[in-house]
Amino acid sequence: MSQADSKAARRSPTEGRFAAPRPVSPRRRRLAQALALAGGSLALPALAQKSEAPLRIGYAIARTGPWAGGAQVSQEPNYLMWAEQQNAAGGADVKGVKRRIELISFDDRSEMETCIRTYEKLMGSDKVDLILPPWGSNANFALAPLANRHGYPMLAPTALSRKLVDMNLPFFFSLLQQPDRMMGALVDLLVAQDIKSIAILYMDDLFGLENFAALNNALKKTRIQVLERKSYPLGVKDLSPVLRTIKDQSPDAFIGITYPPDTILASRQSKEIGFNPRLFYASVGTAFQLYRNVIGAGAEGVTGMGSWNAKSSAGAKAYFDAHKAKFGGKEPDRWASGHCWAGLEILTQALGKVGMDRKAIRDYVAKTEHQTIVGPIRFQGSENATIPGSVGQWQNGEFEIVWPKQLATGQLAMPKPEWK
Amino acid sequence: MSLTAWFELLASGLITGGIYALVALGLNLQYGLMRILNIAHGEFLVLGAYLTWWIHTSFGISPLWMLPVSFLLLLAIGMLVHRLCFRRLAATAPDLDAFEARGLMVSFGMMFVVQSAVSLTWGADLRGYDYLTQPVVVGPTQFAANMLLIFGLSLAFSLALIALLRYTLLGKGVRALMQSPVGAQLVGIDTRRLHPLMFGVGLGLSGIAGCLLSMTWTISPSMGAPYTVTALIVITLGGFGSMIGALAGGLLLGVVEALGMHFTSPSLKMLLSYGVFIGVLLWRPNGLFAR
Repeated sequence: MSQADSKAARRSPTEGRFAAPRPVSPRRRRLAQALALAGGSLALPALAQKSEAPLRIGYAIARTGPWAGGAQVSQEPNYLMWAEQQNAAGGADVKGVKRRIELISFDDRSEMETCIRTYEKLMGSDKVDLILPPWGSNANFALAPLANRHGYPMLAPTALSRKLVDMNLPFFFSLLQQPDRMMGALVDLLVAQDIKSIAILYMDDLFGLENFAALNNALKKTRIQVLERKSYPLGVKDLSPVLRTIKDQSPDAFIGITYPPDTILASRQSKEIGFNPRLFYASVGTAFQLYRNVIGAGAEGVTGMGSWNAKSSAGAKAYFDAHKAKFGGKEPDRWASGHCWAGLEILTQALGKVGMDRKAIRDYVAKTEHQTIVGPIRFQGSENATIPGSVGQWQNGEFEIVWPKQLATGQLAMPKPEWK
Repeated sequence: MSLTAWFELLASGLITGGIYALVALGLNLQYGLMRILNIAHGEFLVLGAYLTWWIHTSFGISPLWMLPVSFLLLLAIGMLVHRLCFRRLAATAPDLDAFEARGLMVSFGMMFVVQSAVSLTWGADLRGYDYLTQPVVVGPTQFAANMLLIFGLSLAFSLALIALLRYTLLGKGVRALMQSPVGAQLVGIDTRRLHPLMFGVGLGLSGIAGCLLSMTWTISPSMGAPYTVTALIVITLGGFGSMIGALAGGLLLGVVEALGMHFTSPSLKMLLSYGVFIGVLLWRPNGLFAR
């Protein structure tokens, strides 16, 4: 008991100026009761609405630090828009009952430790109803086993790792196509375009290494000659020495397994040194609006990772427009953003069908084919088994999907025009 | 390897090195003169970069106009920060070592303040704009116009600072303070005016560096810290307080990185930088240009 409390307890109950009870006339009491009743009945609809506890959904995501660039384009805007749309409709449909969504979010500062600790708290002590995944292959790799242990389903929009999928965690689902699919599609396209030689530049982290391995694996079945294989670290500021070496070898195609800042750096420096192979491919960030804004007309003909755009489906168009309207003209990226939204669509459907039961949600996600804006998604283990690997290309200001045919929104244009 | 290839490599190394030098000079001014190891130096660079990006993309004003604006604005911020933090620290610290340690902690805190302020104001998205990216033919090869501009300007600003310190009365006062703070005060040099001004000039230089960087690289609120680390390596290479040393150290580091990246792999870049750093520390612990 605090000091103030104990003092109050020692005070006699009649102490104080208005403590002595005064008799109330029966008429006045009835009036008061009637008023209270009237007030109560007015408050009733509000009470009825608030009787359902909100759905508490927690996540940690990078708002600062090196991961923020990707997280703030492909992921968090979707979480915010989803919660807003659901709440605008009176809340998420949880097996017929509307429950408002309360997002409990934290900045993980692009630190693995902060990220994992935050989820530990969200699942362990805060006991939120659901979690939404963090950004990036690395963070998802670290979190997936933990979420699995706590029994929280995870629909990861930005995890690209065969190793993670092969861990066969029952509560983990990856929405993106895995490296073997993406690189397989790229190699199929190279073969179809009769590309004879390529040079590869890749980032030396989990994402880069796995895609590099998948690419080499896919190349084994072809006659394509690899003239150069070079890795680079996160935060590289100058790629021109490597690009000049590659230019001297004149490969037919350049394959960059790159992150957004390096995608832009490699493109700019290729333009600088006049390196213009028949096909120029850079991985993450090519499908960002930023790429078109920064590279301008030079973006024409550049290929990269992408699997949808506003033409892909009516749902995709509605999502694209809503995103642009909500975030002041900011467009979603043509790859992970769409998959992230698809994940939220799946979660919405699951909540509607089975209610707020994490195990049941997991089972529903695992066993059902889901209709989403990027196409029907069915999971095989943790893997998105229905959406094939794909390649996109900038054409007249839009990132068109050019490979494979079933996802295509445009025809591949070859060779790439000169950098402008 | 052909002569052209060598030329290309050395030139791209020097271009990167020019930026390193400019960032390092500002930090060196603060550390060499006042013993303020300003860990937040790179964050102020980010501020210059964002201001340039924001003004250029919102109002269409040329990034070149933002050079003097960034410089003056960061100079003013620098003087204010000095007045609010470091002056008080200098007055209360019992000795120089304590001041250095406390200054380090304060600038560490400042790092988060500036980074968060940038995040709050402009968001964490990657940003950039297209400016002078056309290639320009130089001898047997070609470089982006903005790269050449950055190199020319960072060299010009570095040399201007060195000339200022060497040939003007103000510069003499600053150098005297670097050599012997007590002696300088004895002959009438006013540290109360000179210290904030030079701290401001240091930040102003980082503002210019940020402005130049935004012309060619994408920018994000977290981009500053690696530049601080590089600047620390450069000033250790050149010798604390030596401006010529910082310029030469910056250019040298740029060239070593470019050559290393060509002959080994870009992944080994940091290893090469630190290899040079450790080598210099073992061979000449006071830096290459220390007297």
